[in-house]
Amino acid sequence: MNPDDVCALAFALGVKAADPDCVVEVVSLGPLSVRPHMEDLLRLAVDRGTLISDPVFEGSDTLVTSEILGRYIATRPFDCLLTGSRSLDGGTGHVPVQLAETLGLDQMSGIIRIDPHQFDSTRAVFDVADEKSVTTYEMAMPCVLSVTRESGYKLPYVTLTNMRRDVSDELVIITNQDLGFSETRVGPAGSLTQVVHRCPKTYEKKDRHIVGIDEKGISFVFHFLQQKGFL
Amino acid sequence: MKNDMKKTCIFQDTEKTENTADLLEVAQRIYGQGQFESYAVLLADSCDGLQGAFDHIIQVAQGLVNAYDPRGICDILENLHKKHTFDSILIPGTSMGQMIAPRLSKRLRTGLAAGVIDINRQKDHVDIIRPACSGKIRESVLLTGNGPVMMSIRPNAFAYTPGTPLQTVVTSYTEPVRSPGAVKRLHVKENQQTCDIRDSEVLIAGGGGVKESFAELYRLADALKGTVAASRKLVDQGIAPRSIQVGQSGKTVSPKLYMALGIHGSMQHLAGLRQIASLISVNTSINAPVCSLSDIVVQGDARKFIDRLLKKIAVYRS
Repeated sequence: MNPDDVCALAFALGVKAADPDCVVEVVSLGPLSVRPHMEDLLRLAVDRGTLISDPVFEGSDTLVTSEILGRYIATRPFDCLLTGSRSLDGGTGHVPVQLAETLGLDQMSGIIRIDPHQFDSTRAVFDVADEKSVTTYEMAMPCVLSVTRESGYKLPYVTLTNMRRDVSDELVIITNQDLGFSETRVGPAGSLTQVVHRCPKTYEKKDRHIVGIDEKGISFVFHFLQQKGFL
Repeated sequence: MKNDMKKTCIFQDTEKTENTADLLEVAQRIYGQGQFESYAVLLADSCDGLQGAFDHIIQVAQGLVNAYDPRGICDILENLHKKHTFDSILIPGTSMGQMIAPRLSKRLRTGLAAGVIDINRQKDHVDIIRPACSGKIRESVLLTGNGPVMMSIRPNAFAYTPGTPLQTVVTSYTEPVRSPGAVKRLHVKENQQTCDIRDSEVLIAGGGGVKESFAELYRLADALKGTVAASRKLVDQGIAPRSIQVGQSGKTVSPKLYMALGIHGSMQHLAGLRQIASLISVNTSINAPVCSLSDIVVQGDARKFIDRLLKKIAVYRS
């Protein structure tokens, strides 16, 4: 799981710990190979795990991914959708935004804290950090709240009993048979953003001067800074 | 205007407004100089610095939409697209821009290239380049669909050089927003950090090698009238704030002097360095990737380097 996603789930489980009536469902779109990871989440007191998986969905761009997720989530009762803001590799962060648009909801990224005392079925109050400030917002539910790893929410430990629990029957697998997309609307065929070429980034090497931190080296740096007008 | 003129719409975020004109460079790379009609869409009530750079400035009437409401802003851009049928819509890759661009691309059902860092115009197509896999890879993206070409542009990736001033037509957008977001701003707490590292001409940056002595960097930064920056390693360890992080998941910087102290120089970090005039690295290993890009490599302990250089500067100034 991406660190941002972990924080989103950790916050949800914190709400559930304080309010046993709260129901937490984890939804993921991916290959069947992620099944063991989803099962680990079910052992963490997640009430329902749903893996949307079908070979026709492979290669979908963010817009199509959000439409696939949106079609399933629209069939489920919920007060709030919690997501990570970004993936681990500094990805685009498009899916939560486009998922919100698919479902006709408000969304906010970059959340560093959600006030647990002002988080209910009517509204959420949360903090967003940007370049110059930390801003507190209130958003009406249902909405999509996208949390960052800076929130620091931590997943609980798995109890020994749960660690041994067989949860294989508790994971719901959803395929395109359930969602009914035309094969031309999903996967690479339905994606409007396509990667046509990839190459590793290269850098031009410079003719560098190697010096030490002795008097000679420090003088060299000092004169360089002087010549360039930094001193 | 010629009939075959392309139309490009550039949204001005309220964050980093001074960089709005840089997005004209993107349009120029796509269509060629003088081959497009430019529209700037502003939430701010002042269009200083944009008069003469754009053909059209559309000022959204005050109070029509909140600057923190991406849903409402999308309504306005969608309406403007319906009216003008833009060939391209360019949005700065700021935190708000990253919530507007994907939403708008979904509404218009058009492809979106995110975090674009380069544009290469070929004979029969345009290569739109964005970083991927934490900046290790450059991807060339093809956008399809019937809508306009949509991109979010990584801040500081492009620089616009003003040409002959244009006769700018300024209009006001007053149509009510159809579906404003149900979001209220309750409180804003300003950060203590006042200087944006992207604006600094001298950056003294620290990495894992200076985690024990990161505070020392501020002394050197003061002496060189610079600003302190950091690699992701220090940010993830809670030693430095994310607002000063350089790299793929941080900021792209273009200072005149970049001093990398105890920075290894992963691809992700180097992805945030652009058009740096002078680079000095201080590292115990001269084989660190950042050293191969440096003008000067100082082999040794960064803390000792700071102490000795500061003494030298102090003697010079006294």
